[in-house]
Amino acid sequence: MPVAASAIYFLNLRGDVLINRLYRDDVGGNMVDAFRMHIMQTKELGTCPVRQIGGCSFLYMRISNVYIVIVVSSNANVACAFKFVVEAVALFKSYFGGAFDEDAIRNNFVLIYELLDEIMDFGYPQNLSPEILKLYITQEGVRSPFSSKPIDKPVPNATLQVTGAVGWRREGLAYKKNEVFLDIVESVNLLMSSKGSVLRCDVTGKILMKCFLSGMPDLKLGLNDKIGLEKESQLKSRPNKSGKTIELDDVTFHQCVNLTRFNSEKTVSFVPPDGEFELMKYRITEGVNLPFRVLPTIKELGRTRMEVNVKVKSVFGAKMFALGVVVKVPVPKQTAKTNFQVTSGRAKYNAAIDCLVWKIRKFPGQTESTMSAEVELISTMVEKKSWTRPPIQMEFQVPMFTASGLRVRFLKVWEKSGYNTVEWVRYITKAGSYEIRC
Amino acid sequence: MAPPVQSSRSPSPSPSQPSGKSEVSDLKLQLRNLAGSRAPGTDDSKRELFKKVISYMTIGVDVSSLFSEMVMCSATSDVVLKKMCYLYVGNYARGNPDLALLTINFLQKDCRDEDPMIRGLALRSLCTLRVANLVEYLVGPLGSGLKDSSGYVRMVASIGVLKLYHISAAVCIDSDFPSMLKALFLNDTDAQVVANCLSSLQEIWTLEASTSEEAVREKEALLSKPVIYHLLNRIKAFSEWAQCLVLDLASKYVPSDSNEIFDIMNLLEDRLQHANGAVVLATIKVFLHLTLSMNDVHQQVYERMKAPLLTLVSTGSPEQSYAVLSHLHLLVMRAPILFSSDYKHFYCQYNEPSYVKKLKLEMLTAVANESNTYEIVTELCEYAANVDVPIARESIRAVGKIALQQYDVNAIVDRLLQFLEMEKDYVTAETLVLVKDLLRKYPQWSHDCIAVVGNISSKNVQEPKAKAALIWMLGEYSQDMLDAPYILESLVDNWDDEHSAEVRLHLLTAVLKCFFRRPPETQKALGAALAAGLADSHQDVHDRALFYYRLLQYDVSLAERVVDPPKQAVSVFADTQSSEIKDRIFDEFNSLSILYQKPSYMFTDKEHRGPFEFTEELGSLSVGEESADNVIQSRRFEASDNDLLLSTTEKEENKVPSNNGSAYSAPDYDVSSASLVAMPGHSESAVLNTNLPTHAPQSSSGIDDLLGLGLPATISSPPPLKLNAKPVLDPGTFQRKWGQLPISLSQEDTLSPHGTAALTTPQVLLRHMQSHSIQCIASGGQAPNFKFFFFAQKADDTAAFFLVECLINTSSAKAQIKIKADDGSASAAFSALLRSALSELGMS
Repeated sequence: MPVAASAIYFLNLRGDVLINRLYRDDVGGNMVDAFRMHIMQTKELGTCPVRQIGGCSFLYMRISNVYIVIVVSSNANVACAFKFVVEAVALFKSYFGGAFDEDAIRNNFVLIYELLDEIMDFGYPQNLSPEILKLYITQEGVRSPFSSKPIDKPVPNATLQVTGAVGWRREGLAYKKNEVFLDIVESVNLLMSSKGSVLRCDVTGKILMKCFLSGMPDLKLGLNDKIGLEKESQLKSRPNKSGKTIELDDVTFHQCVNLTRFNSEKTVSFVPPDGEFELMKYRITEGVNLPFRVLPTIKELGRTRMEVNVKVKSVFGAKMFALGVVVKVPVPKQTAKTNFQVTSGRAKYNAAIDCLVWKIRKFPGQTESTMSAEVELISTMVEKKSWTRPPIQMEFQVPMFTASGLRVRFLKVWEKSGYNTVEWVRYITKAGSYEIRC
Repeated sequence: MAPPVQSSRSPSPSPSQPSGKSEVSDLKLQLRNLAGSRAPGTDDSKRELFKKVISYMTIGVDVSSLFSEMVMCSATSDVVLKKMCYLYVGNYARGNPDLALLTINFLQKDCRDEDPMIRGLALRSLCTLRVANLVEYLVGPLGSGLKDSSGYVRMVASIGVLKLYHISAAVCIDSDFPSMLKALFLNDTDAQVVANCLSSLQEIWTLEASTSEEAVREKEALLSKPVIYHLLNRIKAFSEWAQCLVLDLASKYVPSDSNEIFDIMNLLEDRLQHANGAVVLATIKVFLHLTLSMNDVHQQVYERMKAPLLTLVSTGSPEQSYAVLSHLHLLVMRAPILFSSDYKHFYCQYNEPSYVKKLKLEMLTAVANESNTYEIVTELCEYAANVDVPIARESIRAVGKIALQQYDVNAIVDRLLQFLEMEKDYVTAETLVLVKDLLRKYPQWSHDCIAVVGNISSKNVQEPKAKAALIWMLGEYSQDMLDAPYILESLVDNWDDEHSAEVRLHLLTAVLKCFFRRPPETQKALGAALAAGLADSHQDVHDRALFYYRLLQYDVSLAERVVDPPKQAVSVFADTQSSEIKDRIFDEFNSLSILYQKPSYMFTDKEHRGPFEFTEELGSLSVGEESADNVIQSRRFEASDNDLLLSTTEKEENKVPSNNGSAYSAPDYDVSSASLVAMPGHSESAVLNTNLPTHAPQSSSGIDDLLGLGLPATISSPPPLKLNAKPVLDPGTFQRKWGQLPISLSQEDTLSPHGTAALTTPQVLLRHMQSHSIQCIASGGQAPNFKFFFFAQKADDTAAFFLVECLINTSSAKAQIKIKADDGSASAAFSALLRSALSELGMS
C-alpha cells in the first residue's frame, strides 16, 4: 500500500512547529519531539534524509529555513512522499506568490491547513494541481486581507474538473495578446582531472514555459534532436536538412505531453496548463560543449608559500558573453596573506570558505583571463600533507548558449479560433557542479 | 495574523507546556460573545479568533477547553470559518467524545448542503472525528456520499469508508460498504474516485484477509485480468499519484503468458518518460516483476531502465535523487555487469551529501571489472584524500574490495601501499585491514606488502581493527620481518594498556606463531604473553591463553599443527546479506525497504497492527509456490557458495589427526581469527556442516563432557511422537491453516549459548531442524532477530500438521514459539520434540 504519509510537520530551524497535520492514527502525537531529539539536536541532521526511530520512519527535507517532515509507520513509497513535498511546496508558492519560508508559512497558516486537507486524504495524495485547486480554494492569503464580501461559490463545474481528464487546464481562458515564453535552461556538470582530461561531463536541461493563451490550444514543439529529425524526414520522405543535431540521452515530460504521440512520432505535442510550468527535462552526456576551460597551476614553494596561477578560457562564440563568473580556488586553512594579479575582474581571499574567490562580471567569448596569486602561509608544526586539495569550482551563466547545442526549431500553436501568437525563446547555460581538480 | 512567536520560551520548548492560560480564557470569553451575534462583520471577527485558536493548537497549547464555544460559533455560511472549525473539532474530538456529539448535528446538516464542496468538506470532517461511539452517525452520510452526484463528494466518501473501517471494522463491513466501494471502483467515471476506492479496498481486504476467506478472494479479485486491464487501459486518466497506486497494483499481477507481458509493457512504456519520479519507479517495478521469469527480457528491462533512472538521479532535490539512487543501487547490485560501462555516472561530486557518496562508492565497487578497474581505482584514490573522513575510509575499503574481486591486482596493491605512505592515521588504519585481507587471498604478494608494512610503527596505529591486522601480519610473516619478535615483545610489554580484547587475542596467537618460527627470539615474549593472558579479566582472552598453554604443555608439535597449519588462500569472501533477504527486498521495490536495505517486516512497527500482522507478512513472504521454489534454489546456491569459501577451514581441520577434543576446537580457533574479516557466519556454519553427518546428537553431548564446558544437559529423550521425515505442505495451505487454527501452545525458551553462537544465518537452523523432520516454509531476519515458520507432519496421520512460528533473538538467546496443530492433543508432545531439537542446536 503506497501510503505517502501518516503525518506531516513543518518546523523552523529551531524546531518550533509551524504546521502539523496528522492524517492517520498509526503514528503517535509526540513525533515532533522524537524528530527534534534524535535528528535535529544531533549530528544526524543532514546525514541522511530518511531515518527510522522506534517504529516510525522520518523523511525530511529542508526548504529555505523550514524543515518539512513526513512521518510514516508502514513501508511507505519514499519517492512518492518526497515528490509530494516538492509539489506541495510549489503549490504553496503559487498561492502566496513566490517565497516559501518561515514567515510565509506563519502568515498563511490557515490557507496551508486548508490546502493540506485537500491535497492529501488519509495519507494518499489527492489533487495537487494549482490550476484546479484555485477554482475552489479561493482564499488569497494575507496579500489581500479578508473582505466582508461573501466568498464566491465555486463555479458549478469546478468539482467536475477537479478530477477531469485535462486536469491541468481550465476552460474558457481568454487573453488579449496570446504569448508563449520558452526558456531553455541548462546546467552543465563537469569533473576534470588535474591533468586536464574530462572525467565526467553531462548536461541536465529543462524547458520552462509560460503560456498566456486563450481557449484550448494544441502546441507542438520541434527540437534539433537526432531521433525527432530522423523521424520527421522519414515521414516526409525528405532528406534531412543540414545543421547540428544532438542526441538526448533521456527525456521526461510534464503530464500534459502526449507520450504516446512522442513515442510513435517523436514530436512533443501538448495542451499546456495556463501560466508557468516545466515542460520537459532532458539529459545529455555526448557532445557537450564546455563553455570554459580552466588551466590551474599551483606550486607549493617551501612550507610557507604557494603560487597559484589560474587561466580561464571562454570557448563559446565571440559574440556571446558570460555573466557572473566566479572561480573559487581552495587554499590551506593557515593562509595568512594573499597578493593578486588579475587580467580582468576582482579577486580576494575569503577565509570563511578557505578559497581565493575571483569574480568577473562579464566574460566575452573566445577570450582568456588569468589570475596569479601569491599565498603566504602561517608556518605550523602540523604536517603539510594534511592539506588535501579540494577541486576548483566555477560558477557562471551564459545567455543564448546551450552546452548541449539544443535548439528550438519551431513551436506551433493551433486553436480553433485561429488567433496569432507571439513566441519568445531564450537560452541560458549555467554551471551545475563545475569542478576542476588541481 | 501570525501564530505567536515562541522566542520567549525555553530553548527546548515542550509542546504540552501549558502557556498562555490567560489568553485561552480570554479567547473563550470573546468567542462566547460572538456565538449568538448576527451583526454584520461577525464572521470577520470570528475568523480572527479562530485563527488564534488554530495557531495555539499548532504550537501545542492545549485549547481543548474552548470546544463548546467553538462549536457554538460554527453555525456560519463562511466556508473558511467552517474549515477552521472542522480542523479544530477533528483535533480535539477524541479527547471530548461527549462534546463531539454536539458537532454531529451541524456536520450532518452540512452533508446535505446544496453545494458539493460543503458536502464533501463536512463528510471528510465527520470521518476524521475518530470517536468510536459516533460511528452510527457516520453510516448514513457515508452511504449517501458514495452515491452523490458530485465526483468530489464521492472521492471524499470513498476514503471515508477506509477511515470508518479503522474506527470500527465491524460497522464498516456490516454496512456493506466494501461492496459499494467495489461497484464504484469498477464503474465510476471519475478517475480520482476510482483511485480512492482502490486505496480503500486494498487496505480493507488486506487487513480482513486474516479472518475472512471472502476477503482473500476479494483481494485476489483486485488482481484479476479484467480489473487490471480496465485500470491500465485508462491509466492516462489518473492523476500522477493515482498512477502510482495503479502501477503498484499491476506489479503484483501475474500474466498468463508472455504475450500478455509484452502487451502490458508496451502499454506502459511511455510512463518511463513521466516527470514524476514516483511514477517512473512504479513503472519500473511493474516491468521488473513481470519479467522475473524471463531472463533475457529481464536483462533488457535493466538496460531500458538505465536512462530514466540516471535522469531522475541527476535532477530534483538531493532527497529525491537519494530515493531514486537507492533503487538504482539495488539494480546495480543485482546485475553489476549491465552497468559496467556507466561507471562514470557514479563518480562523486565534491559537494554531494555523504549519503549519496556512500551509495555511489558501493556502486563503483560493484561495477568494477577488467575494462574499467583502472579508471575506477584512480577515481577512488582521489576520494581517499577527501576531507570527509568517513567517505575517505569508505573509498579505501572500496579499493580493497575491488582488489579482492579482481584477478589483476598488481596496480591496486601498489595503490594500497601508496596509501600507507600518506601518513594519515585513518588511511593507514583502513589500509592495514585491507592489506591483511589481500594477503589472505593473494599470499604471493606478501613480499611487496611486508616490506612496506614493516616500516609502520605500531605506535601510529591505534584503531583496534587495524592494530589486530598489523599483529596478525607480524605473526603470520614473522620469518620475513626482521624485528617481528621484538615488536611483538614490546606490544606484550604494554599488555595492560591495550583495551581491546580483539587485539589481545590476536597478540596471543601472533606471539605463538612467531614462536614456532623463531623460537629463541620469541620465547621470552611468549612466556610474558601467556602469563598476561592467564591473568586477563576478559574470558575469551583468558581461555585462549589457557588453551595455548595446555596445548604447548601437551605436545609442542601438535600445538604448531593446530595454531599454525599451512594455510590455503581464501577464494571468496562472504557476502553479509543472504540472497533470500535480497530477493525479499527486491520484491518490495519502490518502498522504504530499498532505502533501509532490509525487508519491511524488520522495521514496520507490529504493535500497531495487532493480530493482522501475521497473515500480511506471510502473504508477502511466499507469494505462491513459485517464489518459494526460488527461495530454496537461492538457498542451495548459497550453500554451494559456502563450500567454496570453506574449503580452507575444512582442509585445515582434516589435517589435524583424530583426537576428539582439540580437533573440535581447531575450527573454533579459526572462527575467532576469521571474525576480523566479517565472515564468522560461514566458518561457524561450516562447523555445523562438516559435523552434521558424522556426529549423532548423542555423541555431541559426550563431546560436551569431554570439553568440560559445564553446559546443562538439556537433551531429553525423544518423546514417542513420530514425525514424517518428508512432509509436504504448500505455502498457501500453510497460510490458510495458520489463519484458521487457534494457537495451541505459546512459550518462550532459552537457547543454549552454543546454539545462539551457531545461529548466524537462518540456514543453520533450517538444516538443523530438517534433520529433526521439521521443515521450514519461510524464514527471514538478520542478526540478532530471526523469524521462522516451520511445519511438521505426524508420521502416522497425514492430515495432522503442526505449524510453528518461531522468533529468535540471538543476542538475548531467547526463542518465542507459537505452535498451532491440527491435532491439538499431540501439540504438547510436539512441543517437547521441538524444544529438544532447538536445545540441540549448535551441538549436533
